[in-house]
Amino acid sequence: MVIAALFVLLALLVQVMVVNRLPLPAGGTPDLVLLAVVGAALVRGPTAGAVLGFCAGLLVDVVPPTAHLLGQYAFVFALVGYVAGRGAGGPVTTVVLCVLMAPLLAAGLAALMSDPRVTLSTLTEQVPVTVVYTLVVAPVVVWLATRGRPRQELLA
Amino acid sequence: MMRDTRRSRLILGALLTAALVLLTVDHRAGESSPLRPLRTAGAWLFGAAERFGGGLARPVTGFVQAVATAPQAQERIRQLKAENARLRAGLSATRLDEARSAELKRLLGLSGTGGFTVVPANVLARRGQPGFEDAVQIDVGTADGVRPDMTVLNGDGLIGRVVDASATTSTVMLLSDPAASAGARLEGGQEIGVVHGVGEQGRLIQFRLLDSAAQLVRGTRIVSFGSQNGRPYVPGVPIGVIEQVESTPGELTRIAYARPYADLTALDVVGVVVQGPKRDPRDALLPRKGGSW
Repeated sequence: MVIAALFVLLALLVQVMVVNRLPLPAGGTPDLVLLAVVGAALVRGPTAGAVLGFCAGLLVDVVPPTAHLLGQYAFVFALVGYVAGRGAGGPVTTVVLCVLMAPLLAAGLAALMSDPRVTLSTLTEQVPVTVVYTLVVAPVVVWLATRGRPRQELLA
Repeated sequence: MMRDTRRSRLILGALLTAALVLLTVDHRAGESSPLRPLRTAGAWLFGAAERFGGGLARPVTGFVQAVATAPQAQERIRQLKAENARLRAGLSATRLDEARSAELKRLLGLSGTGGFTVVPANVLARRGQPGFEDAVQIDVGTADGVRPDMTVLNGDGLIGRVVDASATTSTVMLLSDPAASAGARLEGGQEIGVVHGVGEQGRLIQFRLLDSAAQLVRGTRIVSFGSQNGRPYVPGVPIGVIEQVESTPGELTRIAYARPYADLTALDVVGVVVQGPKRDPRDALLPRKGGSW
């Protein structure tokens, strides 16, 4: 759990310091924190995944720069961690489902809070780019997060 | 499936509720949110970490940015290079124009003093097989009144003669061409001789004094002697300064080498004498001794 928490923290720092500053084409960035949470939850189950996701989301909410309401990503990542820990089919489908779910959940939650930034163009332009980038780096990050910790169901 | 128990669902529900409570509180309270200290603490802690990590991350970011912007940078470099070349060309053109204007002024001064009528011209091309042939092409021709066997000079002195004239360009055989020979006269007297080119890329010309008994010393200046009707050479044009005198005992003529006044290696503005002076200007066109003219 401690290692997973440290890994999530590291992913967060890399995310805000390096990845978010990269001038990648199409203006999107991969979401490393999401992948770290998914990776950790994959090997640790739904309870740990949900708790880890909640804490990671809370961190994302307070790490500067933030311009969204506190609790938004705590909610999203808690749910994502739970789903990833519970599993949906194989690990690949789980990761893909989580990666697709997270930005849509965040957008939906922001829309509920009547966030003016959530528009149709955000959903059709920004979200697909983010999803694609996240899926591209997903194998590396998930492999790093699950390294040395084989899925418990495989052992069982 | 992994331990998807009642307990884990309960925990998830609690966490989601907590998140929603946080959200609602933050949303409702706005600026005076009770969660503000949490944010401030986060900003303080992670701000410090980000400042520290920024130094480590900057090279990475810079590298990726450099790679990503490389095509634009190449384009920009190309544009700047082109602009630089254009500016440099403009600058050198201005400098050339200034030098040309100065040369033209001196040329006009010389021809004015000598009473020549001169057609100014620019040197277009130079043909040189060192030691064999020394000729330049100038941008005036028969349309400007230039005919073969006319004297060509510049502001410093004699350059050569026109050997061939077409409508708009002419060929000038330089004084340094081994085939060129011009009548010359020592300053201040009537001792005459012949100037020959010796190749040497125009640095030296040979002066053959016809009277072997006449006194010939280093530093003596020579001017053109002139031919009948001023063709091919008009009289009184400065040719050069004797640099070295060869002792040729027993020969009928004396040989000396002179340095031409005109820099035959770097010609730009020249003048073609289309009408010679009515009177031989004698030594009047020679530069003042020891100083530039």
